Amino acid sequence: MILFSLFLVLMILLSLSMGYIHIPIIDIISILYGKISGNLQIIENTSEVYLAVIFDVRLPRILTCAGVGAALAISGGLFQSILLNPLADPYTLGVSAGAAFGACIAILLNLSAAFVSVPAFAFTGACITLFLVIFLSYSSQNPMSGLSSNNLILSGIIVAAILSTGISFLKFIANEQVSVIIFWLMGSFASKTWLDFFAVMIFLLIGFFISIFFARDLNLISLGAKSATSLGVNLKKVTIILLLTGSMLAAICVSVSGIIGFVGLLVPHTVRFITGPDNRKLIPLSMLAGAFLLLFADTITRAVLPHEIPIGVLTALTGGPVFCWIFKKSRLK
Amino acid sequence: MEIALHNISFAYDLDMIIKDIDCSFVSGNFYSIIGPNGSGKTTLLDLISDFLNPCTGYINIDQAPVLSLSTKDIAKKIALVSQDYAINFPFRVKDVVMMGRHPYIPRFSHPYGSDLERVDKLMEVTGIRHLQNRKINELSGGERQRCIFARALCQDTPVLLLDEAFSNMDISHTLQMLRLVKESVKKKNKLVISAFHDLNLASSWSDALLMLKNGEIKAFGNSQDILTQQTIKDVFNVKSIVEFNEHVQAKQVYYSSI
Repeated sequence: MILFSLFLVLMILLSLSMGYIHIPIIDIISILYGKISGNLQIIENTSEVYLAVIFDVRLPRILTCAGVGAALAISGGLFQSILLNPLADPYTLGVSAGAAFGACIAILLNLSAAFVSVPAFAFTGACITLFLVIFLSYSSQNPMSGLSSNNLILSGIIVAAILSTGISFLKFIANEQVSVIIFWLMGSFASKTWLDFFAVMIFLLIGFFISIFFARDLNLISLGAKSATSLGVNLKKVTIILLLTGSMLAAICVSVSGIIGFVGLLVPHTVRFITGPDNRKLIPLSMLAGAFLLLFADTITRAVLPHEIPIGVLTALTGGPVFCWIFKKSRLK
Repeated sequence: MEIALHNISFAYDLDMIIKDIDCSFVSGNFYSIIGPNGSGKTTLLDLISDFLNPCTGYINIDQAPVLSLSTKDIAKKIALVSQDYAINFPFRVKDVVMMGRHPYIPRFSHPYGSDLERVDKLMEVTGIRHLQNRKINELSGGERQRCIFARALCQDTPVLLLDEAFSNMDISHTLQMLRLVKESVKKKNKLVISAFHDLNLASSWSDALLMLKNGEIKAFGNSQDILTQQTIKDVFNVKSIVEFNEHVQAKQVYYSSI
């Protein structure tokens, strides 16, 4: 836990120093120290460019990225336990398709002039999708088995399938905006602001506390509905709260940075090898590992590769094969 | 402790699974529910454990309606060994057994020494202590059932519901578990309700039998009175010979092999 936090801090510092303009880590530490302690002397001694690069460009991007990575990982962990499926991810319930659909509409209607509208539409799309999925799988007659993992996964897949066709259609009628849509769908952290960071952070903190609060109940839920109920978990209440938490986390991530795959699937799945399935350990550690991993990926596309490629593409292209390897290895055991 | 079912009915859509069941179960007795597949045994246990809510009628525990109790309160009164013991996550056996203490351990606190001792003791008596650090999803069906059994006992409830809890255990473990359960019924005045397929085990271990067919009670009462050729013919539609067996000290059922 402490080790992972340390890794994350190091990664943030390293990532701050790397990029088009190289800034020595020593300078970064002293600038950050000066800013935090309010020691203006240090700030005045450093160049304007460094300050602008760190505080206006890199830090918001890096912290947003870490926040999104953390949120995706927690969300993935929650979904895996709720859906009793170690291979579920934040997008299993169609949240990403909903967000993408919302974003496409905003782009198509050319609302992107108003700065917040694409994320706002994405978020709304994600929420509507989620409620639709829960509505589909919920039966008032038999509330306990209504929200079973099978029902949820099935409704999620159906809704996502309809929405992805919808997205294809929107792309088809989009003409020249199709490139904007495609670029948005692939995910990026370029030009993220402090506003994005605070939006992600609020959701992340709330999501984290709710997840930890219900972590032990979640352990029991992951054993199956009947076991959980007979051991005293109010299944319906806890499931709905955690579904909403996980989906909101995913929704905010998608609306801020587009669709970034595999973090939510891979991180909790891999961390489970270290911590075991106990969510009280799994959730915090996944959070740190997710933040670290996504920041690592973002730093590579931003500062190492000659051209910035969409981060969604990078995570899927590297995460996919890694996942195949882990999957195959665990099957062989 | 008494569990009383008042005119309980339950249906999935239009399929009536349980039809107007009215009976009560009293502490200090081992009840067995027997009946053909799909007769509603599991549903009845689910209704008693409050996993399902009846469409009509109500259930009282010691005169208090179940609906007035929280899930946690019920978990302190009723433990269930269900058939869903397939587990996808690699929890260790001792962690699974410890989950039986869940209703007693407040949020964010750690188990007390007494909880740990209880877990240890139950792993010992159910014969899974040597498996305690193994992952539950890597165990065999019978071993896993014993873990779930230990977890239910760990819940330390006055009522224990068993839903074919022995279906994957070998005979030696089945008898060992039955002995445990019987002892707690007689010494600690517990109430056990078990869904059974093996009529002979049901007859020799339980005090009372409840015969279920198509969601209705066909017979309910003292095991030795209820178990007859006629009732078995009525409920299961098989020919049999029912005789008192000296060795078992209970009635046993024999089927012809043609």
